[in-house]
Amino acid sequence: MQRIELSIPSNPIFERVVRASAAELGIAFGFSDERVEDLKLAISEAVNNAIDHGNHGEVNKLVAVVFEIDGEKLEIRISDQGSGMEHPDISRHVIDEQSLESGHLRGFGLYLISELVDDYEVNSSQKGTVLTLRLYRREEQS
Amino acid sequence: MSDIIRREEFGDVAVLHITSTSVDAVSAAAIAAEYEQMRPITVLDFSEVSFINSGGISALLKFVVSARKSGYKLFAMNVSPHHQKIFKMVEMSRFMPPIDERDLAEFR
Repeated sequence: MQRIELSIPSNPIFERVVRASAAELGIAFGFSDERVEDLKLAISEAVNNAIDHGNHGEVNKLVAVVFEIDGEKLEIRISDQGSGMEHPDISRHVIDEQSLESGHLRGFGLYLISELVDDYEVNSSQKGTVLTLRLYRREEQS
Repeated sequence: MSDIIRREEFGDVAVLHITSTSVDAVSAAAIAAEYEQMRPITVLDFSEVSFINSGGISALLKFVVSARKSGYKLFAMNVSPHHQKIFKMVEMSRFMPPIDERDLAEFR
């Protein structure tokens, strides 16, 4: 198993650092260009969730990101230092007339993650939330 | 005038060229601020954009809301295949359909 760890302050500018690392890792893992883009977006959403909803943007709180390559599996764990999420909303969330009228213009993150990775899980407690993403190498990839 | 939007206008048309490669939480506020100066036909040009996340989509939705309130038309131009896929997932394309540069030429 190969393991890479990053830890960033809760500032969205540093999400770009995690995203760039994920892109390099996806390329090294042999993902297609499209899959690398999926990986970047899923991780971006997870890290921004941790910054905004977990750590509430408190820059002194950290977001930890652990990448693990285990054979054909790439697993990424994103952890915050918040007080946990009661009901993570992973339902399908699309833009519709009602959301536009009400000004509800956010909340696509977990839905996008659910569409972009092979599987994922959310573990939340009073010590924070850990979002685990898993993507598997597929035969059609170079 | 935003550093990350280059504006071009002709007649009733405004083309907003997004010059940030990332439409994300960092660039969202500067992009969204432009929605107040929409024209009856407004086109967002994504030719230089390589990444869009949900924070960026939320900023783009400010344009959608404003266009609906004003009765303006809003289009997206030069959207990459990956971003077309993401727009389809969240059904953004219903509210900001694609337009080709050659179709835009009719308005010049």
